Amino acid sequence: MEQAGDEKRFYSEKLKHAIHLLLFKRGKMPGAKEWELKSSIGKNYKEVLKQVDALLSELDLEVKRVEPDQSQAKQIGESSLGENTEDARYLVALRGTLTPKEARLSGWRIDNLAALTVAIAYIVTKQGKAPREEVEKLIADKLGRWKTLTLMDAFVRNGYLKEDETGSLSLGWRTTSEVHLRDLMTLLAETGS
Amino acid sequence: MTAAEKKPERVRLTSGRKELRELIQTSEAIREHKFNPFFLDIGLAVETLRKYFPHWDLLDDHCLDAETIRDLAEVLGLQKSQLRYQSSALYTNPEMLERKFRSLSIKRLGEIFLKSWHPIVEREQLTVDAVREGLAYWDQLLSYEERRKRLALRRPAQPVAADLDSLVKSGIMTREEFAKSLRGLWEELRAQTDEDGPINYWSFIRRDSYRETVQRAYYASFLLTYGYAKMLRDAGELKLMSLATPTEKTTAGLVSFPIAITKDNQPTIPANPI
Repeated sequence: MEQAGDEKRFYSEKLKHAIHLLLFKRGKMPGAKEWELKSSIGKNYKEVLKQVDALLSELDLEVKRVEPDQSQAKQIGESSLGENTEDARYLVALRGTLTPKEARLSGWRIDNLAALTVAIAYIVTKQGKAPREEVEKLIADKLGRWKTLTLMDAFVRNGYLKEDETGSLSLGWRTTSEVHLRDLMTLLAETGS
Repeated sequence: MTAAEKKPERVRLTSGRKELRELIQTSEAIREHKFNPFFLDIGLAVETLRKYFPHWDLLDDHCLDAETIRDLAEVLGLQKSQLRYQSSALYTNPEMLERKFRSLSIKRLGEIFLKSWHPIVEREQLTVDAVREGLAYWDQLLSYEERRKRLALRRPAQPVAADLDSLVKSGIMTREEFAKSLRGLWEELRAQTDEDGPINYWSFIRRDSYRETVQRAYYASFLLTYGYAKMLRDAGELKLMSLATPTEKTTAGLVSFPIAITKDNQPTIPANPI
């Protein structure tokens, strides 16, 4: 019994530490790198993360693993724990989705989200890369040129889109971490005009 | 080999180089996602390479050939990835999607995004490092008085008259437009003064709208300054007289003479402002 109690305390300390590392932003990017977790929590960090994920699930949150240059983030149980990329990053994200009202309260206007949808979906249909002018033209049809330019800059700044020196746009780290692209494309394909 | 036989050979090599450069340019455009990878017929491109390869003699031509092969290989890679992508669940016809974007409302597009969006949760907080950095900044910060002395703003520039140069510089007017308007007013003045002699300044300047009146007064001032016309005082009235041969330069000894044009008195401008 005593041993079980010790084990419980041991885990609760590690869980707290893991949650602090995952939630509190230290650098430019949120979350923690795999090597950080390993060195801070110890060898059994994957077990700890699984427990964190189980705890957070009650709050509609989940621990996600994003590998560098990966096209889509994975849920923690999704064959990710077997991979050994120390540069991979663990993040906490919303398990479910937001309602339009909740999104508005957290500072997102529906027209900004619509513009982001168009930008992401268009880049996906162009196999991950599209000229910025084409994306801007498409969004400007609905939102006007000036607003489009401001939004595109904001999307790039926030990591939703990435722009290279030739003016081509691709999906940024935040899109691959936050947006379920398959769901997005399926929903777009299913929605009637 | 005769000169006649050499000529078609030279022509063939020139057109071969041209075709290869076109292939390289097309490949570049495909790499930059300007065209669909299947826009380039790889089979035909390889045929072209085969056709000219036996004729290449110079190192530059062989380099061009190698560059074309490398670019074609990249296009082939893009074709392969497109085929893979089209067979995946993410593939949607771009034209169909564009039509959908146009037809769907902003609200609907936003809702679709929300259904596939799982935002990251992160917290910004004050760390020990941030506090240390803040303290160091505070220690280095000069007092407000000190900083105010350093940043003491100079007096703003005094207002100046908007001359032609400043109008041209600010893009309100071009020199051509100005010259045209000036000449038009001068010709109008000439037509009136040639027949009747000096004309009353206000009857020449005044128009139905205030804007037009001010504009004519402004141009008239340039006619006087640049020697296209002169102003006379006759029995308490101001009169304008055009000069047959304009000096086209600022005349010495000119006197500045302010004339007020207010909006209120526009419909009944006094005959003499003095």
